[in-house]
Parts: sequence; C-alpha cells; structure tokens
Amino acid sequence: MSMQPFFEWMQGLRFSAFFLETVWPTPIIQCIHLISVAVFAGAILVVDLRLLGKGLTETPVAQLARAAEPWLIGSFVALVLTGIPQLASTALKQYYSPFFWWKMQALLVGVILTLTVRRRISRQADSQLGPVWPKVVALVSIALWTSVTIGARLIGLLS
Amino acid sequence: MMRALFEWVDVMPSSIAWRESLNGYPMLLTLHVVSMGLVAGIIIFWDMRLAGMALGRVRVSHIYTRLFPWAFLGVALNAGSGLLMVYSQPMRYYPNFYFWFKNAFLLLAAVNAIYFHLNIYKTVEEWEDDPVAPFAARLAGVASLALWAGIIVTGRMIAYSGLVPDWWIALELG
Repeated sequence: MSMQPFFEWMQGLRFSAFFLETVWPTPIIQCIHLISVAVFAGAILVVDLRLLGKGLTETPVAQLARAAEPWLIGSFVALVLTGIPQLASTALKQYYSPFFWWKMQALLVGVILTLTVRRRISRQADSQLGPVWPKVVALVSIALWTSVTIGARLIGLLS
Repeated sequence: MMRALFEWVDVMPSSIAWRESLNGYPMLLTLHVVSMGLVAGIIIFWDMRLAGMALGRVRVSHIYTRLFPWAFLGVALNAGSGLLMVYSQPMRYYPNFYFWFKNAFLLLAAVNAIYFHLNIYKTVEEWEDDPVAPFAARLAGVASLALWAGIIVTGRMIAYSGLVPDWWIALELG
C-alpha cells in the first residue's frame, strides 16, 4: 500500500495552497514550532536527567514528572498543530525526503515510549526505581527525541 | 568597522573551507538546533520557576546548581556551532536584519542574567523555598522568557532575509 495518494491529496488542498500563496503564515508557524521545541525539550530533559541520577535529585521523580507534564503535553499539542500546515503545504517534498520518514519513525517510537514505559516509571516512588532500568529509559528517550530533531532539521536542508 | 571585520573573516582560507564544505553547514545548523533544546529547554524551566509558572516545589538554588552545568554544556555547543556558522558565511549574516536583532536579544538576555546573578540571587536563601519568588525575581524570569522567545524567533527568521522592513533594505548592507 502506497501512501503517495494521501500526500498528493494533502498537497492539493486549498489549506495547503493558502500557505504557499501567502508570505507570513509559514514563518510565523515555524517560529511557534521552534519555541515549542524548546519547551518540549525542557519538559523531557528535566525528567530524563533526573532518571539518569543527574539534575534535580532532591525532588522525587514522580513529583518532577507531574510538574513537567502539562508543559510536555501543551508543547506537544502546539508542535502537532504547527506541524500540520508545514506538512500539508510541502507534502510531496516530505514524501520524497528520507529524513521525513526517519523523523516520523523516531517520533512514533518516542510517543509510544513516553506514553508507556517512561510514564509508568516516572510515576513510581523513588524507592521502587531500580538502579539501571530508569537510566536506560532516559537514554533511549533522549536519543529518540534527538533523532526527531536531527531528522526534522535535515528535511529542510538536504531534501 | 564591523563590515571590515566580517569582510576580513570572509577571505580567510578556513572560512572559505567551511563555506565550501558540502556537509559543514547542515551539520552545524543541526547541532545548533539540538543544542538549543538543551540551553533553551533548561533556561525556560528556570525562568518559569522564577516567574511562578512551573516547578514551584523545587528549591531555587537546587535548580541553579544542578541544572546549570547542563545548560552551560548546551551553551558551549550552541555558541560554538553558531559562531562557526557566522565564521563560515560572514557576508551572508552581515546584511541580515534578523541576525542583528538576535544578537541584540542575546546581549539583553546576558545582561538580565548577570544582573540577576549579581543582585537578586544574592538573597536567594531568604525566598528559595517559596513557590512564588519576590517581584524582582519574577520580573527577571518573565523578561528572560520574552528575550529567549525573541532569540528563537529572530534565529528562525534569519532564513527569511527578504521579509524585512523597507528601511533596512535601503541601508544596502548586502
């Protein structure tokens, strides 16, 4: 099954044409996207550094994760909402870019990890956390979100 | 004088080598964005703690001593990649409207941080456990958040060198 017709459909939307025919909407959306990247990175790192035994070790993991969660979810929603117009208006470029698929695969695994293993571990009491597993989860999380960022940046540069 | 400096760098063999390297610029810009996540991500949460928006139950000096080393690692990678990009294409950045505004925001953010460190932070022991910091600290946090938003926005806009006011084009820097 090819996803090409879906990408051609997105590219042909009136919605996509709007972003190609106007000057300011695209850069404004890219700026909001990038600010959201920074907030998202902070919300991930505060917890992942803690899982690694670094950073805010005075605060229990579960308390940090709770404090970061609204910012994690809020910035992720902003990233998706500002990502959709950029995807739709350059759908064919994205479809033919290997970095777009790299980004989306890392993103999918990152979301699954964050919603399952990382979520469960970051709700446990500190005394229940093992010595190794939290570090593995944190390193995988950081690696996945770094991959998403690298892939994303290279779509625009090397496609 | 500034123009002479940029033109001087422009003809340096190592500047030309970076400029003509196929992967130099993509690697630098990618490193710049990834390390931005480390610097801006931590600074945003620090600022939000000062502003009373997040991490209210975490002691202020604990964030300072435990997260700032990571932010400084980010600063080293971020400033390093940024300076190398300018070094490799000085005459691309020199006439760029957003490049100079970004530098101005960076300078203001640095002044704000130094002022905070030398003045407001001196009394941290008196208020570091309060979820809501004193007014001066909250103001410094909000100012830093606004400045960092400005840094990120003008940084992104460097790519849009044509979307600038007419008076800037009339300066004919390029």
